[in-house]
Amino acid sequence: MKRRHLILCLCSFTELLFFLIVLGPAVATQADDSKTLNFSTEVRLGRSAKNPSTPFLRFAPDGRLFAVWTEDDDRAVPTKQEAAAHEHGSMMRAPSPMRIVLLASSNDNGRTWTRFRQVNSAVEAVEGEEGGPRLALDKNNRPYVVWSVPNEKGDKTRANIRFAMENGKGGFTPAQTLNEIKNTARFPIVETMPDDSLLVGWIDRRVDNPAPRSLYLKRLSTRGEELTSSYKIAGGLCECCRLGIAFADGGKTVYMADRQVSEQQVRNHAVRKSTDGGRSFDAPVEISDDGWQVPSCPHSGPTIGRDGRGYLHVTWFTLGRSEKEAGIYYSLSKDGGQHFAPRQMVQANTAPEILHTTLAVANNGTVYLAWENLDDRGKAQIFVRSLAPDGQTWSPVQQISRTDGNASRAMLALSRKSLHVAWTETEGERSWISMRTATLAN
Amino acid sequence: MDFDENRDARELKRDRSQSTRYHWLAGAVALLLCWTLPPYGSMVAWAQHGHTTPVSAPAIGARAVDFELKLLDGKSVSLEQLRGKPVILNFFASWCDPCREEMPLINEIAAAANKGGYQVIGIAVEDTRAAVMQFSKETQLVFPIGLDLNSTVKRAYRIFGPPATFFIDAQGTIRDIVLGPVTPERTREGLKKAGVL
Repeated sequence: MKRRHLILCLCSFTELLFFLIVLGPAVATQADDSKTLNFSTEVRLGRSAKNPSTPFLRFAPDGRLFAVWTEDDDRAVPTKQEAAAHEHGSMMRAPSPMRIVLLASSNDNGRTWTRFRQVNSAVEAVEGEEGGPRLALDKNNRPYVVWSVPNEKGDKTRANIRFAMENGKGGFTPAQTLNEIKNTARFPIVETMPDDSLLVGWIDRRVDNPAPRSLYLKRLSTRGEELTSSYKIAGGLCECCRLGIAFADGGKTVYMADRQVSEQQVRNHAVRKSTDGGRSFDAPVEISDDGWQVPSCPHSGPTIGRDGRGYLHVTWFTLGRSEKEAGIYYSLSKDGGQHFAPRQMVQANTAPEILHTTLAVANNGTVYLAWENLDDRGKAQIFVRSLAPDGQTWSPVQQISRTDGNASRAMLALSRKSLHVAWTETEGERSWISMRTATLAN
Repeated sequence: MDFDENRDARELKRDRSQSTRYHWLAGAVALLLCWTLPPYGSMVAWAQHGHTTPVSAPAIGARAVDFELKLLDGKSVSLEQLRGKPVILNFFASWCDPCREEMPLINEIAAAANKGGYQVIGIAVEDTRAAVMQFSKETQLVFPIGLDLNSTVKRAYRIFGPPATFFIDAQGTIRDIVLGPVTPERTREGLKKAGVL
């Protein structure tokens, strides 16, 4: 009998392995094919000859879709000496790092766009990549834009935060620099608060130079007046990653997500909560103990969102404790950021590469994620996936770009009817912005 | 016998019943495991995607992957053309804090390269030509800089974020790797391993 039981156990174990190996992939991803998003064809944003890049999208209260991005600045003509130094025996013009910030809006869900407007008037090297411009809109649909520029020597790591707002005459106010201590700030974010103020945040190196960095906030009125000086709310930040922000309770509660760096160079992500509109914050809560120990500069920050149930959703990239763990991850908190569920992998790295991820959250709790990963040809492409409100049912991973160059840093905007994804594609020295829209089922 | 036969039949029936239960149990456990292990599904998807090679860094002792890149001055550089002398490959970006912090040291060893019989090559990753030119001018770099605009070299060397420095001997073998900023001690060690000192 014992022998028979042993045989039965072995058979069952073999069957278990069979289930895991053969049926596992189909079940494990819990992918619901019916949740596949139907995307429109690609639309280009900006002037292709000016190398547009680093788009950021946001809906206005009146339903218009706004976008900001950067382009080459025509006014940045190199000096004769510079041009001569880089002609290399040809007529090649020395490139200029000078970029402008542009803004446009769409009344028809991104199919057509208004003529762009230039946000910054100065000739300056507006930063892109992880630290591209950000946009907020108030209840009157007025746009506010922040961006960062390197210091006078061109040092991007010692940059300044610039701010401009629509001037009511179709243009923008002259840009003002927000960080009081010069050459200390980058990776800006801006949000409009329900009390008719603006909250601007950035990563700052004024105190704890050289590392780690601090998180500073500043409040402005919607007329651009400074309501507070900049104030520190956190330390121990990784020096090279963008910030995430989300609101609750009509703006009274503010959540901020960032990547922390320990003395041992371990980079885990954390969320901190404010219940007084961003004036003070609780101690940070670690989202996941990824244990990613890296002394270099992983240029990839988290994104946080909140749904109508009050759940927080976070996505980030990590290499984890070994490269086999490398990939895009997701977690949620059902108790306002006090605890986070064990991380779920959204997609594993297909090759060694720092990836960038973002998410948008619908009121009902559906989460839409977009990120880049390498395809079979070794080209970075944009992928999307959604997670149902049950927190378990994932849609299949969809590749939505087909570039021969590299696609990176997707940005999302979500309305009740549509999901918009914009990203930068680069090939050699050329760049452009692509955008696709998915109509959502009601 | 009848009794025995009946007993055998009952045992067989019970065993079959147990067997069925084991099968159902195995199936249920498998489904439960699948249900609770999304990462597993992703890993399988990765394998199905055609990327079954492990994600690991190029090892010390391995042959350095050859490449050809445009330099800032418009000329080209390949690793192959530098065979015969040790090469120090430094991956950096103009936006990278630790890269800026280590750059004076990299520049220092580059300044001694001719005398020391080796070559320092900078490889700018995730950057633009304009920004790298400005960076080079500002920091007065004295070594050639290749522009890895399509990230091909970065991927070949499996760089998860700059800076990273590879010390390659005259035969083209990687002798030391520093991920993150170099220090004077690690630089000396790397140069020694590459056969410079």
